[in-house]
Amino acid sequence: MSGHGHPQAIGGKLFDPLMKFLLATFGVAVAVMAYRFFAGIGPVSNMTDGYAWGIWEPVNVVVFTGIGAGAYSVGLLCYLLNKGKYHPLVRPAVLLGAICYSLGGSSILIALGRYWNSYWLALPGVWNLGSVLLEVAVCVITYVSVLWIEVLPAVLEGAAKSKSTFWSRIGQTWGPRLASAMPYIIALAVVLPTMHQSSLGGLMLIAVTKVHPLWHTALLPTLGLISCLSMGYGAVVVLTTILRYAWNAKADTRLFADLSKVNGGLLFLFSVLRLGDLAVHGKLKYLLVPDHHLLFFVLEMALFLVPAFMFFSPKVQKNRGKLFAAALMSLWAGALWRIDAYLTAFNAGDGWEYMPSIGEIVVTVGMAAVGMAVFILVSRLFPVVTLRDSHTQSNLGAGRIGTAAGR
Amino acid sequence: MRISRRSLLKGAVAAGAATTLVGTAEAREHRESDPDSVGMLYDPVRCIGCRACVTKCKEANGLPYTRSADGLYDAPNDLNSETKNIIKVLNVGDKWSFMKAQCMHCVDPSCVSACMMGALHREGEGTRNHEGEKKGTGIVLYDKSTCVGCRYCQIACPFNVPKFEWNAAFPLIVKCELCRHRADAKKTGPLALANPACCEVCPREAVVYGKRAELLQLARKRQAAHPEKYEAKIFGEKDGGGTQVLYLAPKGLSFKQLGLPELSEESPAHFSESVSHAPYLHGFTPIALYATAAFLIRRNKKKEEDAERHEEGK
Repeated sequence: MSGHGHPQAIGGKLFDPLMKFLLATFGVAVAVMAYRFFAGIGPVSNMTDGYAWGIWEPVNVVVFTGIGAGAYSVGLLCYLLNKGKYHPLVRPAVLLGAICYSLGGSSILIALGRYWNSYWLALPGVWNLGSVLLEVAVCVITYVSVLWIEVLPAVLEGAAKSKSTFWSRIGQTWGPRLASAMPYIIALAVVLPTMHQSSLGGLMLIAVTKVHPLWHTALLPTLGLISCLSMGYGAVVVLTTILRYAWNAKADTRLFADLSKVNGGLLFLFSVLRLGDLAVHGKLKYLLVPDHHLLFFVLEMALFLVPAFMFFSPKVQKNRGKLFAAALMSLWAGALWRIDAYLTAFNAGDGWEYMPSIGEIVVTVGMAAVGMAVFILVSRLFPVVTLRDSHTQSNLGAGRIGTAAGR
Repeated sequence: MRISRRSLLKGAVAAGAATTLVGTAEAREHRESDPDSVGMLYDPVRCIGCRACVTKCKEANGLPYTRSADGLYDAPNDLNSETKNIIKVLNVGDKWSFMKAQCMHCVDPSCVSACMMGALHREGEGTRNHEGEKKGTGIVLYDKSTCVGCRYCQIACPFNVPKFEWNAAFPLIVKCELCRHRADAKKTGPLALANPACCEVCPREAVVYGKRAELLQLARKRQAAHPEKYEAKIFGEKDGGGTQVLYLAPKGLSFKQLGLPELSEESPAHFSESVSHAPYLHGFTPIALYATAAFLIRRNKKKEEDAERHEEGK
């Protein structure tokens, strides 16, 4: 466990007031979802034939999985580029990813009108390979499983330390076995998000007449991929900073500063591609039209460029608060670009209008709440988060598994 | 447990095969209309707005009447989940025109490209075998058994044709299927393939059913006979890669003014599929990426373990 401390279970009371609040919020969402299954999607949402996806796809799927891309982006640095110093960030990022992607997947099931036919997705024979959404669906379903397998080392490690002989034997046997298979699973966790995050961007390629020219471009898949990376890095910094204040988690500012330089580069790359693409295709003229599209565009570019400059400033790099603010902005940048491309820049034609209904918002908020609840629960029970005073932990006897499974 | 180079290869092939299956389709060719494909021609100059076609369509497709607010008569103002065909009156400045809307039965349909499992498919070209379907008609059909209700077809269709049953617990996508169910096997020619109720009932031949190629000729004939009444363009000949339902425009009105979208000759489906599939290089990229990633990750892990062993040995 060279140099970096090892994650440990946080412990503490499971049903504290925050947990109760989160579960209550989710409870309200469950009621709305249950009603939807009896009455249809119309009565709980403001979706129409012109705005067929409302906020459930753009936010619950496209933005949530963008946040969950922390697992992908940190994984790239840690495993592919062999930057071992990022190890303490991996487990929280992977857990966050597993939760976000699961939420995205379950949101889809609720949004699907004919959800009972989803089993067909398991039969490659009926796949329409031309469908961008098919690629997203198959890839995301596979990736959710991969992510939870990536969470397993923490669970097995927790089990190995369990007082019960049964669980401890399972943990000690399967921990090392899984560890030796891990490179092949992690490699999948590199390929799959590369594919579906670009496809998520590419879903709107086909809506040639409906997406505003400032957003509709052949670069949609590329921008989708870059934005997920920068959202992922942002999410990891935001998450770890919050964990520091909540649980005294290790949050190394120097590490964040290094990570943020990568993020800053991505934000610049995104902005250059975005603006360059507009210039090359002669679309800059749309920036002269003062409407709400321009407002969103300017807001978006600010959210990309401000943190990009901040990340490269030495002052910011030394300041935890400013780094946090910049990371949060980079998260919002990607999120807003996604919401814009799917929703604010989307217009099926004259006469269609959309504002999310209370029911839709309740479901989205409830999904986010249950995601937080699961994160807290798993971190309390299993070694996910690395604490600042890691020497206080007692992991005698679990060293071998720690080395093998701990990443 | 040691992992041999052989098992590394096996893993790469297995995972690569799975990802390839998704990413196989390449930047594909432009789809041309089939010589025997069928469609309709709508001529707003001849249309008198009697809406017999709207009523007949509902009858032929077993659709309920859409009641107006006072519950008196069937007066939908646009296509909806109870209305597959509609006649509208459009006022453009001091000019006006009738306009018909229904599925355009595109040559390279966006909905078909978008549909995950071929629920929406050109007749006989679905991802699964639909008994009795004839290839080559180009009619865009709906198979509810593989539809998951994702509504990507609604996002994709530039004509906003597919409609969703928002207030149903077990909803369907509803759209014109060119009355293929009214085809008469005893007849020959287009009537053996389909028989749109709207065309059958039209008293003015304002909407005509037939082979697409023949409808194009008919449209040109009408334009040539009365050049003062018609615009020279035929919508659907090339727009969006071509549609099997064709439109004429009355003199002085553009198709945009008639509510049709401005589409380039490249179909949106072709654009979307070429852009999203190009990077896959026939599935080579995912396999190569997987193999490289697995190799690097394994090597890095080994390096790290060696370093740790070295440290411990000190």
